Amino acid sequence: MIDSPLSTSAAFALGPVTVTWPVVVTWGIIALLGLGAALATRRLSPTPGRAQAVLELIVVALDSEIKATIPGDPGRFRALIGTLLLFILCANWSGLVPGVEPPTAHLETDAALAVVVFAAGIGWGLREQGLRGWLATFARPSWVMIPLNLVEQITRHFSLMVRLFGNVMSGVFVISIVGALAGLLVPIPLMALDMLTGAVQAYIFAALALVFIGSSVSGE
Amino acid sequence: MEFDWATFAFQIVNVVILLAILRHFLFRPVAEVIARRQAETAATLAAARTAQDTAQAAIAKARAEAAETEKARHDVLLAAQTEAEAQRKTLLETAQAEAARILAEGRAALARQQGADQAHELTLARDLALRIARRALAAQPADLSGYAERLAAALTALTDPERRALLQGGNLRLLSPAPLSPEDLTLARAALAPFGITPDPATDPTLIAGLELHSDAGTVRDSLSHDLDQIAKAMRDDRTP
Repeated sequence: MIDSPLSTSAAFALGPVTVTWPVVVTWGIIALLGLGAALATRRLSPTPGRAQAVLELIVVALDSEIKATIPGDPGRFRALIGTLLLFILCANWSGLVPGVEPPTAHLETDAALAVVVFAAGIGWGLREQGLRGWLATFARPSWVMIPLNLVEQITRHFSLMVRLFGNVMSGVFVISIVGALAGLLVPIPLMALDMLTGAVQAYIFAALALVFIGSSVSGE
Repeated sequence: MEFDWATFAFQIVNVVILLAILRHFLFRPVAEVIARRQAETAATLAAARTAQDTAQAAIAKARAEAAETEKARHDVLLAAQTEAEAQRKTLLETAQAEAARILAEGRAALARQQGADQAHELTLARDLALRIARRALAAQPADLSGYAERLAAALTALTDPERRALLQGGNLRLLSPAPLSPEDLTLARAALAPFGITPDPATDPTLIAGLELHSDAGTVRDSLSHDLDQIAKAMRDDRTP
């Protein structure tokens, strides 16, 4: 990535709609995850094999994390939080494939993820507390706090987007610059560090999304 | 800076699609498997608890039965011991009575045997006495002259020193079981006359029959008492009948 990190390059056009590379890479990730999930869960049995044990470990860890944050059935949030985690992790690590830029290194993808979390928080808040109860949460602890709470709803999801975008984009940008300046093998440690950063950012995004949704659900 | 709203919209749709795909192909099946296994585990645990309860109930029942069996065994043993004690006592009393009866019979048999033995011994003694008397009487002479001749023969049979010592000893007497009549005394002295002696007559009822010549140096015996003593001595020395 030596172009502006805020620009997206078009892959192809579908009539008047231009499809950019982040979208194409996302499609690839969707295909990979979907196909892998279909294959991995094709023969599930009560006596798990090695792959099934890994999948069950992921699900159990997700449920445990959700239970620790939001009381009640963790199955309500399992798919959303798990999808965010797996997608962001795969997207962050997709930069290791030569010629591929992580979709999360582009602001549109991170914004889309933040909007999904924002919408999920509103939806779960309305479902759990009703419209009146959900609106009442903005007046806590006092009606004076309503403007601040409204701004907070926007800013915390905006920070969610910017945090992911900044970390992933900076890592990709640094690796691109170092690779252009110092040759082939020098960026490898930075790539390993980028993997760690990508995993941590995926976890942070999923955990914060869970906290934000949980706050909407509980009204606190 | 530019923000591609089309890409933004695409990515929102993409995330929603991925959410649906992973929900359908990953999270739901895996969660269902986990739930099914947990249900099976819970059912297995419940079955295990039920089996454990059943086993504990069976153990308690078995213990109760064992206690009852132990009590019944104890009762049976006690009854058997009591019965055995009674039988032992009965047997002991029967044995003691039998032993007393056998002992009494033995004593009676012994008494009968002793009586029979005594009778047999008396018979033997009587027969023996009869035989001795017959033998002794058979050896006796018919009258006093016979005794006198036998006394003279006995003196003759002595050696000269023995005969001289006897005849020259003092206090020479002629013993008879009853006082001799003058004729018998004359007859006896006549038989002893060849030896040059005239012994004084004397009486000794223990001789029973016959004559004996006594002096301070010795005696020549020719009497039924002497024969009886000889026969008794021979019988003592020879125990064959």
